[in-house]
Amino acid sequence: MEVVRVEGLGKTYPGGTKALEGVSFSIDRGEIFCLLGRNGAGKTTLLRILATQLKPTVGRASVLGHDVLTDPRAIRPHIAVVPQEARPQMLLSPYDHIFYMCLIRGRSRADAKERTRKVMDDLGLWEHRDKLAADLSGGLRQRLIIAMAMVADPEVLFLDEPTIGLDPLGRRSVWAMLRGLTKKGATILLTTHYLDEAEVLADHLLIVDKGRTAFLGTVEEAKGDTGVGMRVIMEPAAGNGSAAPEVLEPKSSEEILAIVERGLREKRKVTFKPASLEDAFIKIVGGSIEVENT
Amino acid sequence: MYIGLFDALPLLRDPMLLVVISLFSFLPVIFIFVFADQASAVQSLIGAIVLTFSFTGLFASQSVFFNKQWFRFQDMFVASKVSPASYALGLSLSGLVVALPGVVVALVLLVLSGTSSATGVVLLLGTSILLWIGLVFVGFAIGATTKNARRANSIPQVLSIALGFLPPVYYPLSRLPAIAQPIAMLIPTTHAAQLAKYYFGLISIPASEVAIGWAYLIGFAALMGFIASRRAHWVDP
Repeated sequence: MEVVRVEGLGKTYPGGTKALEGVSFSIDRGEIFCLLGRNGAGKTTLLRILATQLKPTVGRASVLGHDVLTDPRAIRPHIAVVPQEARPQMLLSPYDHIFYMCLIRGRSRADAKERTRKVMDDLGLWEHRDKLAADLSGGLRQRLIIAMAMVADPEVLFLDEPTIGLDPLGRRSVWAMLRGLTKKGATILLTTHYLDEAEVLADHLLIVDKGRTAFLGTVEEAKGDTGVGMRVIMEPAAGNGSAAPEVLEPKSSEEILAIVERGLREKRKVTFKPASLEDAFIKIVGGSIEVENT
Repeated sequence: MYIGLFDALPLLRDPMLLVVISLFSFLPVIFIFVFADQASAVQSLIGAIVLTFSFTGLFASQSVFFNKQWFRFQDMFVASKVSPASYALGLSLSGLVVALPGVVVALVLLVLSGTSSATGVVLLLGTSILLWIGLVFVGFAIGATTKNARRANSIPQVLSIALGFLPPVYYPLSRLPAIAQPIAMLIPTTHAAQLAKYYFGLISIPASEVAIGWAYLIGFAALMGFIASRRAHWVDP
């Protein structure tokens, strides 16, 4: 079932800056949809339009079957947002933030207490519940912001660079939590600059560049469509330590075999590196950088 | 209601800070009490009550700015069933929660001074609240327009001096040179203070001036409400 539908969406800010142009896609229930792009590509603009925080100038967008422009009130109780660069109030505790967010979202005090405990436990915040936010690490503060959105138990969750500042374990706990949410039927749209994150999480991804769709599809399609294949790194032969390693891109199994045989013959260390989303991203967006520079 | 409480919570969690902020506009009263007569002290106490409401209205700008641009809680609230009206009301009332202890202490002192009547207190609160509404709108317009944290802190402070400490709020209008008096009457806090002092029987002004005072405050609130509605957005354009 389609949860988000975007058709020819465009946004030109009152100052005249064109942030989005002709973007179209849809997201099914239970999907994690990643928005990728360089800084200023239009990711946040798109996310904010879908989260009913910003008005589009052209095109249509609907969330849960309701138009974001004409019927935002029908959408809002069912969504939650982790804004980019959100910060906790430094003089309040994590418990205060989450408990009051529960109350603000309309939960009873008893329910709010229960939900606060559950969300704090899930995100590893309970042991820090009474500290001031000012005394928390950057990662814990970011987890706190995510927790404030999680209290809603939303049908659609919008996250704008949610794992920025988190350590590798913190990021993985957020990933696990997001996967847990989708298993329960939630739909997630997130922007990120971490391509490994998108590679692990994304069911579908959209790469935007200068406000336009540069790629729409799955991670595997991104790698396939851009022709990014396996890379083989062949270290220099012994006694030739100053030479740079060779980076090869074999196109067939015969070529791979030939590289292995050569490595054995020349007694060189050979490392196989599978194609990554980062390679595909650079190929997709890098193309536009080259055009920009010519 | 919970939005207001959440906004005021940092101060409610730190009673010492609450007391300092709550009593901020009453500090000049102490000096006037020490260095002048009791009637002047009572006038300044009334002025302090008017200004407490003014400052809490004006400093709504900080709540608006920080919730929107710094903490980004406004974005989180937009994506929920919170309505723009309840958000605006919550942020506005959070300032009053903070101001309440100081106002209560001042009212008790007024009663103890023997100069107050029930009508006087009601009309004092009436003018103060009307002024507060106008300045809440000013606060929303400033908070929504300001783009950096430095300005968000400095603009209301500069305005609080221009609206609070310079015009004849703590002191009588008659203390100003005749040439400056019409200029002072352009400032909304002057009108609110004049009306409050009049209802306490501390000054006498003609009925026409009373009517002008109320009309000015209502007009000011309406104009600022219009400006705020054009500047402050729940959904960004």
